[in-house]
Amino acid sequence: MDFKTTNTGDATEVRLAGRLEFTDHDKIPGIIEMLDPMAQTGRRRLVLDMSALEFIDSAGLGMLLILQEEAENHEIKMVVRGPAGDVRRSIELARLSEIITIEP
Amino acid sequence: MAGPALSLSDCRVLIVDDNEFNRKSLALVIRRAGITDIAFAENGREGLAAVDRFRPDLVLLDVDMPVMNGWEMCEALRRNATHLELPVLFQTALDSDEEQVRCFEAGGSDFISKPIKPGECVARVRHQLEKRKLYGDLAAFRERVQRELSHARAMQTSLLPENRRLAEVADRYGLTLDAHFETSSELGGDFWGLYPLGDRRLGLLMVDFAGHGITAAINTFRLHTLIDRFPMQHMAPSQWLAQLNAALKDVLPTGQFATAFFGILDLAIDTLTFAAAGSPNPVLGTPSATRGNAPDIRLLDSAGLVLGASRRAQYVDQSHRLPRGGFLFLYSDALIECGGEECGPLGQDAVPDFVRDGLARDRQHPLRPMMDSFYARTNLPLRDDLTAVWVARRA
Repeated sequence: MDFKTTNTGDATEVRLAGRLEFTDHDKIPGIIEMLDPMAQTGRRRLVLDMSALEFIDSAGLGMLLILQEEAENHEIKMVVRGPAGDVRRSIELARLSEIITIEP
Repeated sequence: MAGPALSLSDCRVLIVDDNEFNRKSLALVIRRAGITDIAFAENGREGLAAVDRFRPDLVLLDVDMPVMNGWEMCEALRRNATHLELPVLFQTALDSDEEQVRCFEAGGSDFISKPIKPGECVARVRHQLEKRKLYGDLAAFRERVQRELSHARAMQTSLLPENRRLAEVADRYGLTLDAHFETSSELGGDFWGLYPLGDRRLGLLMVDFAGHGITAAINTFRLHTLIDRFPMQHMAPSQWLAQLNAALKDVLPTGQFATAFFGILDLAIDTLTFAAAGSPNPVLGTPSATRGNAPDIRLLDSAGLVLGASRRAQYVDQSHRLPRGGFLFLYSDALIECGGEECGPLGQDAVPDFVRDGLARDRQHPLRPMMDSFYARTNLPLRDDLTAVWVARRA
């Protein structure tokens, strides 16, 4: 999985691409590290753009839950945007929308 | 090398040299470095005998000797698997490139040039001995971890129904029961079980913890103890899953969760009632209304909040007819997510055809042909744990 970050106004947008799976565990700290500076500079929204993500496995879903909790701890609202295809299907099957805000 | 210098006092060194003066001066040099356990030989043949008798940690080996020279002795040593890793330091007065290359070709670990420079000699001896010790430590560590993992693996396997138990339950309830379980590494995060609830009802559980390996396996052990705490007898599957969810939420760290299917097959009313928490869609087959036709096969909806993610999770019961001749196929996500170079992963939508194909090849026990065709298209080792369970009611 690769990700690119852009800051826009009150939000930080992280665009994920490729496959988010078991072997990507070491990349999540890189996203979590952004939460401190976000909170300090008053950016209150973390948008995970998943439209370019091709695949997510159960470990990847777990990483979303970790990010969600970390964001909550920083009083930052996390939004998952644009999951498509198999990724959307996996997120729906696991009913993560009951915990995480998912936008089309 | 980082870390404290290794004490050489418990290392054994064999010096092989036909010249007595050389033997004595080499012994003097390494004795000053703290090595006291030293043995001597005067040619290659004596040297080989001394290696077997004295079991040195390192050999200081002259090249030019009568009877058997150093190169020949080293080659003979390396032909013996026991001595493949034994450090051999050539000491040579031959300083041509070709001669020195010959020392390595004979299997030498390194060489020191004559006349011996004490500082260099001790440094090279120490380097070889430290390498040998690290190698030995690593090999011992690896062996210990492997032994422990294989014990743990046996424990994990013991959590699952044995073949004899499958046969007993199958006979008691008039079923065909086949199961396949394979972990992607020594340990895995899949679990499944059968729970007789009186003579006409049977509980079926399949759980897949996110990820795989040791962390996921520890969670299967946690799960196993929790299951016994919640009786299934007088409870709807959705209620039972909700209880399990709350208990798992208490013990699982954030990011760890499980998908699950829990169903109760009631033979008296030919009904399967289940609740699911994000497991892959189970396959339900019912005999065709027209005799002799292929069974109706479809995927069941198994969406549900995964276990251990939120205390507030609620689950929904669904009931489906499962008469004699009908079947249920449960599997973990590896079946649809693992693929190979030529064929991608199977994918959820292809599962009904995958089952039809299995049935065409073995009507009674389609699990085996299904697994054969899965493994034929999939790269090994598996990237995730695979569990597949076939439950059919005998016609």
